[in-house]
Amino acid sequence: MIAGATAESSAAPGAAGADRRVVFENVSKFYGDVLGINRVNLSIPPGITGLVGPNGSGKTTLMNLMVGLIRPSRGRISVLGMSPDDAERLFRRVGYASQYDAFPPGLTGYQFIESYLRVHGFAVKEAETLAWKALERAGLVDAAGRKVAGYSKGMRQRVRLAQAIAHQPSVLVLDEPLNGLDPMARAEAIALFRELADGGLHVIVSSHILHEVDLISDQVVLINGGYVVAEGEIAEVRDEMEEQHPVQVLIRCDRPSLLASRVFEQDHVVEARILEDGRGLLVRTRDADRFHLVLNEIVLGSGLAVEAVAPADADVHAVYQYLIGSNGEKS
Amino acid sequence: MSETASAAVPAPSSLPWGHWWRQVRAVLRLELRKGFRRSWGLYLLALSPLFILLLRTIIPDAVRDPGDVSGATEFYAGVYQAFILRIVIFLACVAIFGNLIRRETLDRSLHYYFLSPLRRELLVAAKYLTGLLVSFVLFGATTVIAFFLAYLPHESTAVQQFMLHGSGFGHLASYLLVTFLACVGYGAVFLFFGFFFKSPALPALAVFGWEGIHFLLPPLLKKASVIHYLQSLCPVPVSEGPLALLADAPSPWVAIPGLLLLAVLLVAISAWKIRGMEISYEES
Repeated sequence: MIAGATAESSAAPGAAGADRRVVFENVSKFYGDVLGINRVNLSIPPGITGLVGPNGSGKTTLMNLMVGLIRPSRGRISVLGMSPDDAERLFRRVGYASQYDAFPPGLTGYQFIESYLRVHGFAVKEAETLAWKALERAGLVDAAGRKVAGYSKGMRQRVRLAQAIAHQPSVLVLDEPLNGLDPMARAEAIALFRELADGGLHVIVSSHILHEVDLISDQVVLINGGYVVAEGEIAEVRDEMEEQHPVQVLIRCDRPSLLASRVFEQDHVVEARILEDGRGLLVRTRDADRFHLVLNEIVLGSGLAVEAVAPADADVHAVYQYLIGSNGEKS
Repeated sequence: MSETASAAVPAPSSLPWGHWWRQVRAVLRLELRKGFRRSWGLYLLALSPLFILLLRTIIPDAVRDPGDVSGATEFYAGVYQAFILRIVIFLACVAIFGNLIRRETLDRSLHYYFLSPLRRELLVAAKYLTGLLVSFVLFGATTVIAFFLAYLPHESTAVQQFMLHGSGFGHLASYLLVTFLACVGYGAVFLFFGFFFKSPALPALAVFGWEGIHFLLPPLLKKASVIHYLQSLCPVPVSEGPLALLADAPSPWVAIPGLLLLAVLLVAISAWKIRGMEISYEES
């Protein structure tokens, strides 16, 4: 949903629901006079949630608030029904891979993960088993005996991820987890996120690379200037923008001019443009559902040969551009 | 995965003391592993009194009467109180305890502790214990080795007599107790300052000055210095010069619980302070 429209319903989930969600209720954070985030209402369900916004928009602030590294100036946060202040309970179920590219000095990859598992309170054998399991999932078994200080940027990113998942949390918060990864490692990380989310985890991922978010997220939170500008499944968010930003639909067919003349008869169609190659039509409509019904009727009635029908601006990139107004790739 | 998690993580019923003690040991192990193995400056500091005492052994005629061990006792008392206690242990405590939290803020790795299911108060206690262990092992060893080095130039029969049948080992035990209490007291003071000052240098300098002019302070103000209690526990009194303002030394029944109480209070305030701490590395 787009912020400001129905924030109330988003902020007030039932008590039982709140135990399975990450909830922000009217949360603000100020660093002195500087705004971090303002009046944020969120209710994040399980699955992969992409946190999207330009640099400095408040993504890291939101994540740090979620795990209690910083405290809200106003409002209330609950993670699966727990307060971020209750570290003893919270971090049994929450793992966080921060953006800080720093590690305790002198430790190998294995020692880094095993030592903090011991700090969690795991017994020696258990900590060892979990550490190796996490290293295996992050593809770092071969480098486990090397000092973290000697790792490449991608390996450091992966060892942070391994540390965050080592204690097998229910909520995984990852701040720009794909930064510095090569394409192969990126694909593996995305597959891992998907696997974890399919197992019922909350995977909350921040990124400013929009096509990645589009690729992996079940729902998105768009944030700009400290304000949440939209949240929900990307299709839902896009639907709510139909009035201001008509949906673009691309139709590949054999007689685009015929189709153009027929769709123009509809009051919700604001534009129909024949593609340069003459093999299709780009339609802008204020009511995508009605348009698809009409399109079916036209095709059946006129015998058009339709090759493909696809939304042209229903991805997170388009939504981001409409709501935030800049190119997400560059921000 | 979440189901596995509840099976793998220690159950809440096992939480209280056993679980906390395991966490404290884990922090201690991690701190020792990452923090103190290459602290060459500390090792040098610990060795520095030994050089002075070795010089006394090497320099000819430094010891006028090798049969008289009382000269060694007085010499060691002077070195211990003026150098080991006031400078070596003091500076080591600044370096060790003042940086227990600060070092990790600077290298941006403190958040790993904050992201563990570990009570922050426990983290402070565990870090303080680590500092105490490191400082006492290092400077306890310095105290013992320096003590024996002081008697090295003397005749072995006289030394043996003093150690086994005189007050030798009693003195050593007292010095070790003072070293331990100095680590406890100064450690707590600099751990505390670590939470209130960005750099421990300035408060350390102020405390150093205060402790340094202790002999000039009137009796009431003397009570507000750590050295006042530590000196009172030293087995051999050392003259503080003609300008010193004399005051009654507190009894061990006041000095020992007093120092321990001060440490508990300062560690408790530090633990309270860390509860509200936010991770904001940019500012540091």
